[in-house]
Amino acid sequence: MKITCTQEALARGLGIVGRAVASRSPLPITSNVLIASDEGRLKLSATNLEITMSCWIDAQIDEEGAITVPARLLSDFVNTLPNDRISLTVPPRSRQVRLACARNEASIGGLDADDFPPAPVVQDGVSVQLDPKGLRQAVAQTVFAAATDDSRPVLTGVDTKFEDRMLTLAASDGFRLSVYKLPLEEAVSEMTEIVVPGRALGELNRLLSEEEDPITLRTNAAKTQVLFRLKNTEMIAQLIQGTFPNFGQLIPASYSSKAVAEVGEFLRETRIASVFARDGSGIVRLVVTPGEGVTPGKIVISARAEEIGDNEGTLDAAVEGEGVKIAFNGKYLQDVLQALDGGQLAMETSGPSSQGVFKPVGDDNYVHVIMPMFVQW
Amino acid sequence: MARSILHIDLDAFFVAVEQARRPELRGLPVIVGGDPDGRGVVATASYEARRFGVYSGLALRTARRLAPDAIFLRGDFAEYVRVSKQFHAILANYTPLIESGGLDEAYLDLTGCESIGGTAPEAAASMRARIRAELGLAASAGIATSRLVAKVASDKAKPDGVLQVAEGTEAAFLAPLPLRALPMLGQSTEKRLAPLGISTLGQLAALADSALEGLFGNHGRVLGQRARGIDPTPIGHDVRAKSISREGTFAADVADPEHLRAVLRGFSESVGADLRRDGRRARTVSLKLRYDDFSTVSRSLTLPQPLSSNEAIFEAGTALLEKLRERDKRPARLIGIGVSNLVADAVQLSLEPAPERKQESLSAAFDRVRRKYGTRSLQTGRTAFDAATQDERSVFEKGTGLSSQMK
Repeated sequence: MKITCTQEALARGLGIVGRAVASRSPLPITSNVLIASDEGRLKLSATNLEITMSCWIDAQIDEEGAITVPARLLSDFVNTLPNDRISLTVPPRSRQVRLACARNEASIGGLDADDFPPAPVVQDGVSVQLDPKGLRQAVAQTVFAAATDDSRPVLTGVDTKFEDRMLTLAASDGFRLSVYKLPLEEAVSEMTEIVVPGRALGELNRLLSEEEDPITLRTNAAKTQVLFRLKNTEMIAQLIQGTFPNFGQLIPASYSSKAVAEVGEFLRETRIASVFARDGSGIVRLVVTPGEGVTPGKIVISARAEEIGDNEGTLDAAVEGEGVKIAFNGKYLQDVLQALDGGQLAMETSGPSSQGVFKPVGDDNYVHVIMPMFVQW
Repeated sequence: MARSILHIDLDAFFVAVEQARRPELRGLPVIVGGDPDGRGVVATASYEARRFGVYSGLALRTARRLAPDAIFLRGDFAEYVRVSKQFHAILANYTPLIESGGLDEAYLDLTGCESIGGTAPEAAASMRARIRAELGLAASAGIATSRLVAKVASDKAKPDGVLQVAEGTEAAFLAPLPLRALPMLGQSTEKRLAPLGISTLGQLAALADSALEGLFGNHGRVLGQRARGIDPTPIGHDVRAKSISREGTFAADVADPEHLRAVLRGFSESVGADLRRDGRRARTVSLKLRYDDFSTVSRSLTLPQPLSSNEAIFEAGTALLEKLRERDKRPARLIGIGVSNLVADAVQLSLEPAPERKQESLSAAFDRVRRKYGTRSLQTGRTAFDAATQDERSVFEKGTGLSSQMK
């Protein structure tokens, strides 16, 4: 094998696939990255068996070939090299990769490419084209609500449903729920519902920021795998099996109090309160008071640290309906407010023990529900 | 300026409450603690009963043998709590710096409070008079420059007396007393000092700090200071319990897992009731087992959501018990359960109905019934299995029922 490319392209490619390298795997080769010539380009690939990421970079192929080398070592080495041409050479019947760049030469021992777990072939299922910007926002506003502990594996994923001309993403850890509806350019052939691991979508979103062209999402017929194909990158993830709970029915249709406030101010006050809530199970208390005459309505956000101190902040709000006292986990509040990216939001509530429903003003595609904390007022 | 600390302690509290509402019991040997033919222990004995050699913690059966004519009462915990609240309310008139030491005792920092209740002896006389007039109870008080000496002084003043240890005489006051007069000094410390010929606080105080450190490490220096009557610990920081626990020793070792679970259930309910009365939840549940050879193991479990229901405490305890018994099925001599890592009573509600919330309502209902009609009035199948003694014992074993370990 003899391949030449730029240090910059190789470092970028290794950075992308490096996210899929297994950290502690019983299969040692999965801590390696696959380097191969592929139709005139250099292909890099890594897998932790749950996620497989591949990336193609422009290269000059003088001699076809493939090898795997320890990902961490290669990427640390390449990252420190000057931006110059790098040549990767593997002599016939050898597993030693020789790297030469500027006045540096290195030799890294590798493992046979044939032993590297082959990437699954994902075809025959549903296939849709998605706008990268829209998908990125949909993922960013839902994935944080997915569970991080494995007590209910299905909740660590994002429920991804294609129906007609609508893609619906829903994520929930049992305490909060995020639902985002993304209209599709074309209708899907059949209703399809899959549960994509939250981690895979998180990785996908890192890549989407630089994409311009529509990307392809495709599943296999058995709906056990999903493929995301970007311009120069591909990610394949094992889907989570199981039925996602029908949380949609838990979004209340009515409310007794609705407060509209600036997301930025709301986030700032919640952050301040969360400092004091740190030692007290994260409890942030909200008191919504309707306006009266010329006095505007307000939301008072407070928190207290037992035996240490407390904090109280106020923000203006247009309040419709009655006042309400409700307490939330400050982290949950911060998560949704951060995901909203400015603008105004409406908080709809029906009492201290009922769901808090958050909707960005002027956007009917997104709804976030947080269950309150039961506290002594 | 030297501090003026007062320790006040109600004499034979449980018995005195009974005698206050049933005057015919006055002057008689009365023992509060449960069924005299059961396996429980004495919670409180009247001074008349103490003449027969009966003391708190003694097996009730032995007490019955020593004082066959004594009057045995099961006790009425709800009433004791009610009277205790009145006792604490009286004390609150004398200083804002009060620290409760349990149902029947408290420390008061009277420094600079002369304009409220006069000098410390005057204040002591005034509060003891009110306690007698309003509650019909006798209280003993100790006055000193530190909480430790005040506590020892009130013990010496009993029954129904006041003892003031003047500034500068603390070491001399403690010197002739036996080691165990010091509240912080346990049996194991005593055992280590015995071979050195040290049996009084004066002898302990005479040891050099270096010698004490050699014997007891960092703790040694503190021990020496306390023996000389030096204790700078402030009063009035409302020290809330850091943990709540119950444990009990079986009369005969128990191997039957159902029996162990039954006892665990009773203790769980008792711990849970205290936890909820304190308006808090717990993140950690611990189980303690002592085997027939006195070896002791304990294991704990920390939960993602803080719990407060009897069922949740019991479930965590049972899970820990199973784990321990997987490895060692020997009969247990002692079993105990406790909760720690206590947080405010707040809980994250979940989108789907959580069975735990129902259990919490159930526990709250148990609390209401038991507060009104007594602990025995309502039983689960498991506690009924072992209701003969365990339930009462779990309340009375620790004397005041407040087995909370401070700090």
